[in-house]
Amino acid sequence: MDMKYTEEQKQLQDLARRYLEKECTIDFVRNLEKKDEEIGFSKEMWASFAEMGWLGLAIPEEHDGMGWGLVDQAILAMQMGRSICPSPYLSTAVIAAEAIVLGGTDDQKSELLEEIIGGEAVYAFCFQENTREFGPKTVALEAKADGDNYVINGSKMFVEFSKGADKLLVVTRTAGKVGEESGLTMFIMDSDTKGITHTHLPTMARDRQYEVKFENVTVPKSAVLGPVGDGWTILNKVVQKAAVIFSAYCAGTAEVMHEYALEFSKERVQFGRIIGQMQVIQQYLATCTIEIYGARTIVLYTAWHMDQGRDMLDYVAKTKAFTSHCVEHICDRGSQIFGGMGYIEETPTTLHLRRGKQYQLSMGGMAYWEDIVAEKMFGPVTA
Amino acid sequence: MEFDLSLEEAGFRDEVKAFLEAELTEEVRGGMFVDTPARVAFVDKLAAKGWLGMGFPEKYGGSKKPIALAQFILNVELELAHAPIVGKNVGVIANTIFHNGSEEMKDEFLPKVFKNECQWALSYTEPQAGTDLAALQCKCEDKGDHWLVNGTKRFITSAHFADYHWVAVRTDPDAQKHKGVSIIIMDADAEGLTYTPQWCVGSTGAERTNEVFYDNVKVPKNRLVGEINKGFIYLMQALDYERFAIISFAARVRRFNKVAEWVKEAEFGGKKLSDDPAIRSKFATLATRVEIGTMLEKMCICVAAERVPNTEAAMNKAWASTIGTEIANLALDAMGPYGYLWDGSEHAPLEGEMVDQYLMHGHSRVAAAGVDTSKTIIARRLLGLPDPLGKPFLPNQAK
Repeated sequence: MDMKYTEEQKQLQDLARRYLEKECTIDFVRNLEKKDEEIGFSKEMWASFAEMGWLGLAIPEEHDGMGWGLVDQAILAMQMGRSICPSPYLSTAVIAAEAIVLGGTDDQKSELLEEIIGGEAVYAFCFQENTREFGPKTVALEAKADGDNYVINGSKMFVEFSKGADKLLVVTRTAGKVGEESGLTMFIMDSDTKGITHTHLPTMARDRQYEVKFENVTVPKSAVLGPVGDGWTILNKVVQKAAVIFSAYCAGTAEVMHEYALEFSKERVQFGRIIGQMQVIQQYLATCTIEIYGARTIVLYTAWHMDQGRDMLDYVAKTKAFTSHCVEHICDRGSQIFGGMGYIEETPTTLHLRRGKQYQLSMGGMAYWEDIVAEKMFGPVTA
Repeated sequence: MEFDLSLEEAGFRDEVKAFLEAELTEEVRGGMFVDTPARVAFVDKLAAKGWLGMGFPEKYGGSKKPIALAQFILNVELELAHAPIVGKNVGVIANTIFHNGSEEMKDEFLPKVFKNECQWALSYTEPQAGTDLAALQCKCEDKGDHWLVNGTKRFITSAHFADYHWVAVRTDPDAQKHKGVSIIIMDADAEGLTYTPQWCVGSTGAERTNEVFYDNVKVPKNRLVGEINKGFIYLMQALDYERFAIISFAARVRRFNKVAEWVKEAEFGGKKLSDDPAIRSKFATLATRVEIGTMLEKMCICVAAERVPNTEAAMNKAWASTIGTEIANLALDAMGPYGYLWDGSEHAPLEGEMVDQYLMHGHSRVAAAGVDTSKTIIARRLLGLPDPLGKPFLPNQAK
């Protein structure tokens, strides 16, 4: 057993660290936060991601990707999390790419994957409905077959980057009713397809999230991705991978917040000594350290096992639940160490404070995943 | 990166499992100490397998370690089966003697340890030297042809069945406090050595530790381990080891699974307890925290392939001990008032085991450097923060 990175993995991590620390600075992130009407990420940076091979990192070589694994994507995502990097990496290079690899026809694969790898198509993932719940059973957005087309009506919530994206991966219900896992169908469509409107949702992280409304949106049958009515069989795997990558991102954010707080504790003098000499501060920092090491390990462990093709649902759920807890806890605790400065907007860590809790609530929060853990332990609720 | 056991390692694990299936009886199960004839006989069988001296040279009675993770695998399986563990005799005593002791000492003691021919009491803590172990006062004077030991020790868990005491003593009263400490080996039947039980909180009244008195105990000169006044360094090394290797996290996993299994089957007023959303949520949170414990342990094992884990061991120790109490605490919450029924009541869930766990697991949070001490180790050694009790540090003085 060993947790050591390979030479290639080390190089990936180092390159990502160097690039993001230089380009994705606090000022850069703040600047993207300010522009309310903008797309919320940098197209220049996205092009660099493509050049560095990051967008096709886990796409199989047969489709011109690099053919690396989830664990490599996790290593990269931890670095992105360290720089709280605002980019549609998750929705494009993880979710859309994986959905296409698993569910796409040969034509879809050859056309769509190439666009992703080259940075020419940015995707937003339209999954979450207008509810606090998460998961396949909540999907209500209706798609009705109509001749050679489907007509889509309804809305999605909390869709990151939907306005700035080129394409949407939309999860609809073509059969059954809310509360059922089956009956889902995925579509790929342009984000400016007639009948789609994007309404900006202001968030605490000041990222770009939208309510997306579908009013008689008509798309051809060729827009379907994967099996009709059985989309969850593919999406289930995609969402699990996405949860692990999001967890890696959260672990990175927690890690960097801890570094900021540690550094501050070695500079701030009170009672004639640095506050890092106080036992209570040391205990805070040490507790967070343990959580970060635990978070990183479970991310790598779960991703590595998934790369071996194993069913890791229980571990995915624990990974997501724990890193969600961690990023919230450490961003909050770190801010406390900064004292009053922790709550002044100009302090860099307020960016992390505003993200920690939001990240915890995102992508099923903790509740959806803890339900999965409970079900594994106790079976489904019987009453 | 590789998280799977190798074929060899998996084979060894299966061999241990099969051994336990055949040899572990109810009489043996249930305790970590080698304190009853049945448990001694069981550990004799581990010794006969060559599993106590794995990785130590054969000339000292060791056996070639078959594979890298053998020791870890063995401990995990013993803990999962609730069997006595290999424990401190090998983990602390044999390791310290092997790395620091004289040739004569290695020849005398290592084979005995690996054959399970002797039990040991770790004799460190004193009434005035607990967390602040370096404050220990137990006096050890050089009387020319022997050492003379005088002092009182507390919480000496194995003293009532030990053959030897492994005693931290003060050999230089004038040196800085952690620089005047040595380790000596004392026969348990030495004249002047007495002990009295300290009964632990709990339902059975049978769990004990001991207070030990050394009253002019004479110890042969060759029983001082390694170099004089270097004892504190040896203690710290051994504690790093103890914090991760001696008690595997698997014990907590076993206990958590046992409680979860109980919850799954429990019904009150015709309702399944596991249908309660609050119970499901709390157990899911804890299951996740338990998993993090196994992750931190795996991390330590990976580090151990290259060096003795120290700050990683402190993380493992702090987390494992905290989670141990969380398991017992949540178990009692789930049981409601049945949770406080002690052993002896037919209504006590899980024979009242979790009450005792709740009461005594706090011990794990203070033993072998407790949770807070472990966190101090992380703060000092890994994060580079200064001693809270030292002179004031200003910016740029910290590492």
